[in-house]
Amino acid sequence: MKFIKLTFAIMLSLTILSCTSDDDSNTEDLTGQTGNLVLKFDNGVGDQDFIFGTTYNKSNGESYSLTTLKYLISNVRFTDENGNEFMFPHDDNVFIIDEATANNAGEIWLTLNNVDAANYTSVTFGIGIDQERYALGAEGQGDFLTEAADAGMMWSWATGFRFTRFDGTYSSATITDEALNIHMGSVGTSLDNYREVTLSLPNNARVRQTTTPEVHIKADIAKVFDSDTTSINFADGYSQVHTNTETTTVIANNMSTIFTVHHVHNE
Amino acid sequence: MNKLIILCIAITIWSCSKNTDFDEIYQPIPVTVEVPANFPEMTYNLDNNPVTEDGIALGKKLFFDGRLSANNSIPCAFCHEQAFAFTHHGHTVSHGVDGNVGKRNAQPIQNMAFQREFMWDGASSHLDLQPIIPITSDLEMGETLSNVIQKLQTDNEYKKLFRRAFEDGNINSENMLKALSQFMIVMISSNSKYDKYVRQEDNVTLTAIEQDGLNTFTAKCTSCHATDLFTDESYRNNGLPVNPQLNDLGRFDILENPDDLYKFKVPSLRNIEVTYPYMHDGRFSTLEAVLNFYNQGMVDNGNVDPSLLRTDGSYGISLTAYEKTSIIAFLKTLTDYEFLNDERFAEYE
Repeated sequence: MKFIKLTFAIMLSLTILSCTSDDDSNTEDLTGQTGNLVLKFDNGVGDQDFIFGTTYNKSNGESYSLTTLKYLISNVRFTDENGNEFMFPHDDNVFIIDEATANNAGEIWLTLNNVDAANYTSVTFGIGIDQERYALGAEGQGDFLTEAADAGMMWSWATGFRFTRFDGTYSSATITDEALNIHMGSVGTSLDNYREVTLSLPNNARVRQTTTPEVHIKADIAKVFDSDTTSINFADGYSQVHTNTETTTVIANNMSTIFTVHHVHNE
Repeated sequence: MNKLIILCIAITIWSCSKNTDFDEIYQPIPVTVEVPANFPEMTYNLDNNPVTEDGIALGKKLFFDGRLSANNSIPCAFCHEQAFAFTHHGHTVSHGVDGNVGKRNAQPIQNMAFQREFMWDGASSHLDLQPIIPITSDLEMGETLSNVIQKLQTDNEYKKLFRRAFEDGNINSENMLKALSQFMIVMISSNSKYDKYVRQEDNVTLTAIEQDGLNTFTAKCTSCHATDLFTDESYRNNGLPVNPQLNDLGRFDILENPDDLYKFKVPSLRNIEVTYPYMHDGRFSTLEAVLNFYNQGMVDNGNVDPSLLRTDGSYGISLTAYEKTSIIAFLKTLTDYEFLNDERFAEYE
């Protein structure tokens, strides 16, 4: 009995000690705790908010105005301050970002549930659908094929997803309101236009059971057409971008330059 | 009070037993998909979609169901009839809803689990996703995926069949497409006279003319019609004069690559005897016409496959009258009567 009491006392003190030492290094134990996180996608053009029907100028004297602005996001994951990665569950990890569904502030909210509690320092996501997911066929797609088809994000002449869908018109000194349709995706296994971006967060996103961080992601649509490296002319084969290897690759590369994280709210 | 409790329990038990009716639960009976000894490896990954008896049954019902189309009357089987190796009997190009006419000849559905890409131009690279093309094409079934799913969801028979075929029992596009794939995966044609001859089964031998045809075929055709699937799955321009009415650009549509102009997928030749008419637009109604074309009808449309260039600078495959006759005799040994009459694939068993 005495032995048991002694063991108990030792264990108790060990427990207290271990707790104390944790407190000392300021580490809370987040094991098993999950919370929610919101990604807010905010489309803009340079220093303006994006608005349907508004005419925006491009670098080369061309201008454009859009009636549809959608893109696919997938494989969203986060890296915490210790370098650990949290991948949102695969089968639910595809999203359509559709400007038409934006709130009055022009934001499209993606609420991610059951995210591991941690202090995240960066977010990574893909633009489009990767080859691995294509190779699964219908497996794990649930209702997404239907959802994408309803959103006009699939082709009916081929079985691919559209990664981006920009519809509208463009004009220049010599052209007035010509059709502009940028429907770009991968083409089977022959052409892989999936791209990934990793954005560091200016302040940590602290996911807790009681705290839902909001990551405000700005997407500069101007850079789809005038990226830091490649500017395109609509009149030179870029007013209709569908499956051409060269033009779709340029749009895919430019799409991977449009995103930045403006700020993170930890509420 | 006690009586009331007993009554409640009785009702509960009764309702339980009704819900777990044998008809309505997921009790998968796995189906082993055998790869014929003379076939290449299967490309379809069965781990992602294990084939079961109930999955095949659901796929079959969907295949023959006109509700997959906008006017509820054009099922997959409309253009894919079993007696013709699941092609559209006699039609050059097929017609769909609202009297719309397509621009290509319906291809046979056979040995799909062994193919990497689908359609004449390779527009689909996964069997699961292929049906989306005919279902949503205005020229074919003209329907939307969500409408199809809604129609199925209101049907009690489908509720039962989806529950039996899939663990989650959901009537959604994933499960619908998986069931269609399961039905197509087991549609394997591998028991023609030729198959039995190469596998040395049942003492089957070829006649002298069939053997001559096989020899000529091996010498002059197998660089494209390779393996016992009789296709290397490449896309090639075989020098058909372009039909200006259709102006079908072929594989060019997929990648907008000028090198792909007028290229079409090399078709399998299995059951070729019954899949007339031939070529992507069904322009030839007999095998004789096809071989006459290869011998003497090709034109230089600017992008003809170099393997078809003859030493005299013209395009074609030189064939004597006897070579043509014997090749046709050989091609008829590829007719698989077991497949064409297999009740597992028949609308009415």
